[in-house]
Amino acid sequence: MPLPDLENPHLAKHSVSTRAAGSEPHIDTEPELPEWWLAAKQAAWERFNELPLPTRLDERWRFSKLSGLALDSYALTREERAAQTMSQRAHHPMEEEAHETPYQCPTLPPFERAATLCFHGQTLVHGVELPEELAERGVIFEPLTEALATHGDFLRDYFHKYPTELGSEKFTALNTALTNTGAILYVPAGVEIAEPFLVEHSVEGEHAAAFPHTLVILGERAKATLVEHFTSDTEAPQLVSAVSDLHAAAGAQLTYIGVQDWSPAALALHSSAIAVERDARVLSINLHLGGAQVRHESHSRLLAPGAHSDMCSLSIAHGHQEFDQRTLQTHAAPNTSSDLLYKNALLGHAHTIFSGLIVVEPDAQKTNAYQSNRNLFLSPDAHADSLPGLEIEANDVRCTHGSTSYRIDPEQLYYLLSRGIPPAAANEMLVFGFFEEVLNKLNDTHPALRDALSTFTQQKFKATQSA
Amino acid sequence: MSAFSPSIASDDAPTSASQDKGVLAPNPVAGIDQTRGDFTYDVEYEYDAGVGLSEATVRYISQVKKEAPWLLDFRLKALKKFESMPLPTHWATKDLENIHFDKIRYYLAQGQKPKRTWDEVPDDIKETFERLGIPEQERKFLAGVEAQFDSEAAYSNIKSIVAKQGVIFVNSTEGLREHPELFRKFFGKVIPTGDNKFAALNSAVFSGGSFIYVPPGVKVAQPLQAYFRINAENFGQFERTLIIADEGAEVDYMEGCTAPKFSTSTLHSAVVELVALKGAKIRYITVQNWANNVFNLVTKRGLAHEEAEIKWIDCNIGSRLTMKYPGVILRGRKARGEVISIALANDGQHQDTGAKMVHAADETTSNIISKSISVGQGRATYRGLVQMGKGLKGCKNNTECDALLINTNSRTDTYPAITVRGDKHATQHEASVSKVSEELIFYMQQRGLTEAQAMSLSVNGFINDLASQFPMEYSVELKRLIDLEMEGSVG
Amino acid sequence: MSLLEIRDLHIAIGEKPIVKGLSLTLRGGEVHAIMGPNGAGKSTLSKAIAGHPDYTVTGGDILLDGRSLLDMEPDERARAGIFLAFQYPSEIPGVSLANFLRAAVQARIPEGEELDAVAYYKRLYEKMDHLKIDRKFTSRAINEGFSGGEKKRCEILQMMMLEPEFVLMDETDSGLDIDALRIVAEGINSMRGPNFGALVITHYQRLLDYIVPDYVHVLYDGRIVKSGGKEIALELEAKGYDWVQNELAPAAVA
Repeated sequence: MPLPDLENPHLAKHSVSTRAAGSEPHIDTEPELPEWWLAAKQAAWERFNELPLPTRLDERWRFSKLSGLALDSYALTREERAAQTMSQRAHHPMEEEAHETPYQCPTLPPFERAATLCFHGQTLVHGVELPEELAERGVIFEPLTEALATHGDFLRDYFHKYPTELGSEKFTALNTALTNTGAILYVPAGVEIAEPFLVEHSVEGEHAAAFPHTLVILGERAKATLVEHFTSDTEAPQLVSAVSDLHAAAGAQLTYIGVQDWSPAALALHSSAIAVERDARVLSINLHLGGAQVRHESHSRLLAPGAHSDMCSLSIAHGHQEFDQRTLQTHAAPNTSSDLLYKNALLGHAHTIFSGLIVVEPDAQKTNAYQSNRNLFLSPDAHADSLPGLEIEANDVRCTHGSTSYRIDPEQLYYLLSRGIPPAAANEMLVFGFFEEVLNKLNDTHPALRDALSTFTQQKFKATQSA
Repeated sequence: MSAFSPSIASDDAPTSASQDKGVLAPNPVAGIDQTRGDFTYDVEYEYDAGVGLSEATVRYISQVKKEAPWLLDFRLKALKKFESMPLPTHWATKDLENIHFDKIRYYLAQGQKPKRTWDEVPDDIKETFERLGIPEQERKFLAGVEAQFDSEAAYSNIKSIVAKQGVIFVNSTEGLREHPELFRKFFGKVIPTGDNKFAALNSAVFSGGSFIYVPPGVKVAQPLQAYFRINAENFGQFERTLIIADEGAEVDYMEGCTAPKFSTSTLHSAVVELVALKGAKIRYITVQNWANNVFNLVTKRGLAHEEAEIKWIDCNIGSRLTMKYPGVILRGRKARGEVISIALANDGQHQDTGAKMVHAADETTSNIISKSISVGQGRATYRGLVQMGKGLKGCKNNTECDALLINTNSRTDTYPAITVRGDKHATQHEASVSKVSEELIFYMQQRGLTEAQAMSLSVNGFINDLASQFPMEYSVELKRLIDLEMEGSVG
Repeated sequence: MSLLEIRDLHIAIGEKPIVKGLSLTLRGGEVHAIMGPNGAGKSTLSKAIAGHPDYTVTGGDILLDGRSLLDMEPDERARAGIFLAFQYPSEIPGVSLANFLRAAVQARIPEGEELDAVAYYKRLYEKMDHLKIDRKFTSRAINEGFSGGEKKRCEILQMMMLEPEFVLMDETDSGLDIDALRIVAEGINSMRGPNFGALVITHYQRLLDYIVPDYVHVLYDGRIVKSGGKEIALELEAKGYDWVQNELAPAAVA
């Protein structure tokens, strides 16, 4: 099956379909891109076309709204200015088109950053370059295609090395085939960077499809933080298939924050693959705020003794939103640990699904794994499905999970009221308190980022209240 | 059940089915207990539907039983349903594919009417139940007993004092014949034919099982018991039980089961429906101890009306594969449902058990407590379903699942699904997996116990609070069974 | 001068009557103690005054400075000047003590006016030091993981920050060691003055050694069966609650 060509204007409105998508031959206009990359894209396109859409019998899609997965109404749009190669733009993002007001990505409240990349569609519209000192130490923070052109062979080993295996294989194949935006962060062994890196992805255009792919590689004992902020430039329907590929080598410490605030009409599928090596620690926090139907899959692999993964999520689900979250904690080595905390605040007619699984492989003795899903109901019409699962094949382990669904505790509310706090403020305070448990994970390492995210989620919550 | 028989050594058996084959040369752990039920008699069957399943099989069963046309029709529709439904291997184990439906005998019976006294029961069958200790238990603490031998009840009796209260306790064949109106009113209403493939199979070929009706306000003081015995090889047992507790009535029902260990697998696929009308209470106690070549695929569900209470107490020790998720549909306001479950999975066994709670009225509450122990290569799975519908208020569920893993190659899984709609409910689910604490074992060894004794004590401690929910005679037996199962699992 | 009047109050939990006709007048500057055995209705009284939704006033009235509290929401009653020190304060995850108190203080200043944050923190730290509460507690979630004594001191801290006209102390002494008790009592005593009244509910006389009451009322089966000066507390201590049951209660009914 030929790959639809993003760079060919004739295919600008090419439909992404589960069927064969046109017969035009593939021409990629980025000559510097490595062969293996193009071959991988071609193979992924074939895979996408071969794989069926999920069906009712697929346990990994239990409770999901499958009718929402029709892909026919989205197009691979491409604005004229994207015709320029991204590498050109990356080097001089601010000098390009000085006469035009550059697009402003929706922003998060300010926090100090190491460097920023801001994409509008596939176009890099803004960037704060990596400090000289970090570049000299070998840190790479570049748009995907540029990094592929210059560091392709090095990166090859990491792409989809550990794919998520949670049901969205068809959509990650689509992402691989059509990846047109994203970033690479590489931090060499021993380099520690306190300030977070920020990648802004703003999906461009009505009925557009976007395929961001972010790859983070931390060398041994490296330490870094990446924040991805996903937004839209419209409130119209959009399709997003995103992949975040995270690798922490021995002793590394990675903090990853994904904030999704897509168009209220967006269909989005996001996969996070987290590979954790010996004594490495990864903390990932995903905030779900936007989109109409959003599925996030997160798969942690604890690959060597001492590896630890902290997986957190916070959702404010309102209107008719469906947030579908699937997780897997694979303990593939002894003496590993993982801790998962997914919290959903449910408003309006929202529907959340949490389906999580802890897998302890036969050799993974002394595993310590935890999984918790908490659903706070703020509406009589909301709906939550919770499927916390365990598959344990080693006996010397400590594994527990818990799932609760509840509403605001009347005694707590009364306590606040009894101090003279008005009901609306008291309710809000308890909801924000519900959020804090997740955000507090950043207290010790990133207090400023924590505050920024706290402010942001609170603003978002207030917006749902006034809506 | 076998475990009650005080002293039967396996070598007493006229023919011991498991002795001469290496396949099941068992883990001594599993063997000890199962030899107690591991014997068979050569019985002359008067009625035999032959091998395999077809419309003719179903018609034969219906004809032998002299059933009404509507029931034959029901059976034939169920057969079509069974044939059209796929095996649920998209979520369940692939081991189901090893059931050869065309090699099973679906109906075997010596007679059509159960005897009212043990003296009338044919000798070999009577001996079977005597070896299993049934008549002795009946004298000691039961209000009534039904003993099913392959497809039909060989013995069925209810103490006259209970019968005088208007309590009906017969097998399903008699129930249909003698109380057709009552039977038909509730039959198939809690578990529809198409609920799952095995419920459809049962609906097509069912035979035996109990029919119980307790009139309004009658509280049956002693438990009623059914005992299910498989004697023949390549046989499928498909009993159908229907229990109705009328308003304010209370009843306890206990069932036990055993089968000899053949080299081929055996299928047991029952359907049990309970109906608790307003304010009624039903407690259903199962100690399942099939030989470990039995596929035990059972559908059990109760319907609880206003302020009624249905409690399933379920213990699974035997079988090769058990799939059983007792459920309660909480239909009336303030209805209560409970599942207490103990599973022990040894080498070659998969206990896939759990619970379903469907909250369909305001202020309904449910409680699920499940404990499993995996020994050797045994696998214990918990599957749960909790639903709270839209527009309801004040529903509560509490679920606790604890799994204990004894050996390094033991396995356990937990797959709950909790659906909540609306902000007026509370659910809480907790599960944990652990092993027996080394500290604890060391402590007990230091006090002079062997490691095996220490292990047994620990395991008994693990299930102690649940075992005490069983009637006294069962809970003592249960602990002893687990002791036996655990023996030799250390080291 | 402020005035809290309880007039022939009847309170029920669900259908069950608990307080069965209780009258009491508390003036600014006074400390009244309410003593009684378990189940007499002591906590019910304090919860109902503070407007807890589980407690229904089935008769009588509660007036603060002449205005009925009954139609007011719990937060309105609080802002009007009623403070309940809980016997079992709620733990509220994720809500820090500082933010919570700030919101409570903010709710008491006219709309549109901003709280002076510097002054607020200065005052907060002063009170915390006074009550020997570690300043780090400001960033901790309210009562979460606090010891019994810490919770009670935190209640007193809130009281001192919110400066109510009347405080209802619901068995504040339960679970306190003698040092904590002394600190709590000092907090209360430091507030005493013409614009501050307290209703101290306790099972034991011990607390009244530290917070000396002007009046003591003995509550039994939902009614006050004896009122008088602080000497009643000592008498009760000496004679025990049997005295209430066997002598006071029958006398009160008769």
